[in-house]
Amino acid sequence: MVRGVPPAIRWFARVFVAATLVFVLAPLIVVAGVSVSASQFIAFPPNGLSLRWYGAIFENSAYVKAFWTSLRLAILVTLAAAVFGTAAAIAIHRRRVPGADAIAALMLSPLILPTIIFSIGLLMLWSATVGPVSFAALWLGHLVVTLPYVVRTTLAVLADSDPFLEEAARTMGARRWQRIVHVVLPQCAPGVAAGAFFAFNISFDEAIVALFLRTPDLVTLPIQIYNQIEFSPDPTVAAVSTLMMAMTVATIALIDRLFGIQRFVGT
Amino acid sequence: MRDRLEDLALAGPGVAVLAVAFLLPLFEMLRLSVLGDDGGATARHFVRFLTDGYYLGVAWRTVHLSLLITALCVLVGFPLAYVMSRASPALRLWLIVLLILPLMTSVVVRTFGWMVVLGRGGLIPWTLWKLGLVGRNFSLMHTEAAIVVGMVQVLLPFTTLSILGVLMKIDRGLEEAARTMGASFLATLRAVVLPLAMPGILAGSILAFTLSVSSFITPSLLGGVRLPVLAASIYDAATRTLEWNFAAAQSVILLVGVLVVLVPYARLTGRRRG
Repeated sequence: MVRGVPPAIRWFARVFVAATLVFVLAPLIVVAGVSVSASQFIAFPPNGLSLRWYGAIFENSAYVKAFWTSLRLAILVTLAAAVFGTAAAIAIHRRRVPGADAIAALMLSPLILPTIIFSIGLLMLWSATVGPVSFAALWLGHLVVTLPYVVRTTLAVLADSDPFLEEAARTMGARRWQRIVHVVLPQCAPGVAAGAFFAFNISFDEAIVALFLRTPDLVTLPIQIYNQIEFSPDPTVAAVSTLMMAMTVATIALIDRLFGIQRFVGT
Repeated sequence: MRDRLEDLALAGPGVAVLAVAFLLPLFEMLRLSVLGDDGGATARHFVRFLTDGYYLGVAWRTVHLSLLITALCVLVGFPLAYVMSRASPALRLWLIVLLILPLMTSVVVRTFGWMVVLGRGGLIPWTLWKLGLVGRNFSLMHTEAAIVVGMVQVLLPFTTLSILGVLMKIDRGLEEAARTMGASFLATLRAVVLPLAMPGILAGSILAFTLSVSSFITPSLLGGVRLPVLAASIYDAATRTLEWNFAAAQSVILLVGVLVVLVPYARLTGRRRG
């Protein structure tokens, strides 16, 4: 009979995990708390409850404009990342092109190379060749950041798929596009969808590329928050931040409900 | 042949995007970092960084804070991942979700949260003031401690999840065998689990370190202008003083620093797989 874990260590583990969770979640809870405070100063615990700061967001044209910019950007980035990323993942998975490994390494490299380095390079290159930065530059920058996620989730799903299905379709006379549309894409679907949710979340929340490529007319929601907290934080920022967190929670819940989040972490 | 063409066409757009918007910018940055005023090549921008005590101080702060942050992430992340790996599947899923939540929250929102917790009148200074330990105007903002706290919160989930990935694959029979043969719980943890978890610990540390040395928003908001890190110095040169060549040279130094850590690791794991 193997002895179990000593009781003292069990208790220590419980306290330790609880304390770590408090530490990791504290800033998020505090922001949500400040956002419902009645006080016009940032205060936690909140003095009295009020939703006035949520109302104040919609009267502030800078936030509203930044929200639409971020939403438009995130949607266009997600669409492109899903299409390009899925196609690339299929090609990488089949391993029929020479250099499939090199392509995979290239597609995943933005995950490990610091974003700040390539965003400053993109700013310099764009200014030298195209001119002043624009929405298109920001879209390209976000596409680089989000593509690896779609490639990775799609590859993860393809790795579990049955390689003989496509072969069977070929033997039975399916044309190239029929094999892709009717056999390969349905196999990819969960990975593509999960990758697209990640891509949307990342693009909507991203602040480094957006900071380097900002102009007075091109300010995303995270950059608007950054500008505000750098100099004069107020409870409106907390309300906007809380809404952004709510979107993140919804995204995580959706990914988990639809595909099981464990499939995409820890590797 | 036509199969290859089909696959090239599939990979084409993605590869093109990364070539134009990722590789070319990196080359442009390398080019600018050695470009002199006369259009020729120069090492001037690098010499400026490496001979100025101020910039060397910035580099040293970046490195030693990142080492400290990485060490804390592993010290907390390993036990956390171990507990998670031994928890019931339902509890583990909840813990994973709670760890992913801060990971997927925008960096500006997270950092703002820490500003509220650490700033004057914030949760921690207010508590310390009420306990009579500090003055009313006490604040933890604009300290190295604030940078470390803010960064560990961001990077702990990364480290924990990469260690968890390895721990989940360890055969539990090994631990039981050690226990049956008389090893205590802690001895088993040290002699069996820890060595087997090393790949995950190493991967998690490297991830934490590279993300930490290149982070900008959290250290610059929590550390303030008097405690600049390398990324903040790059940002200043690129957008405030508009010294693009100098900004590019500093980026190259950061890139080299990251590669020095990443490449041996990639070699190591590549060999193990192959």
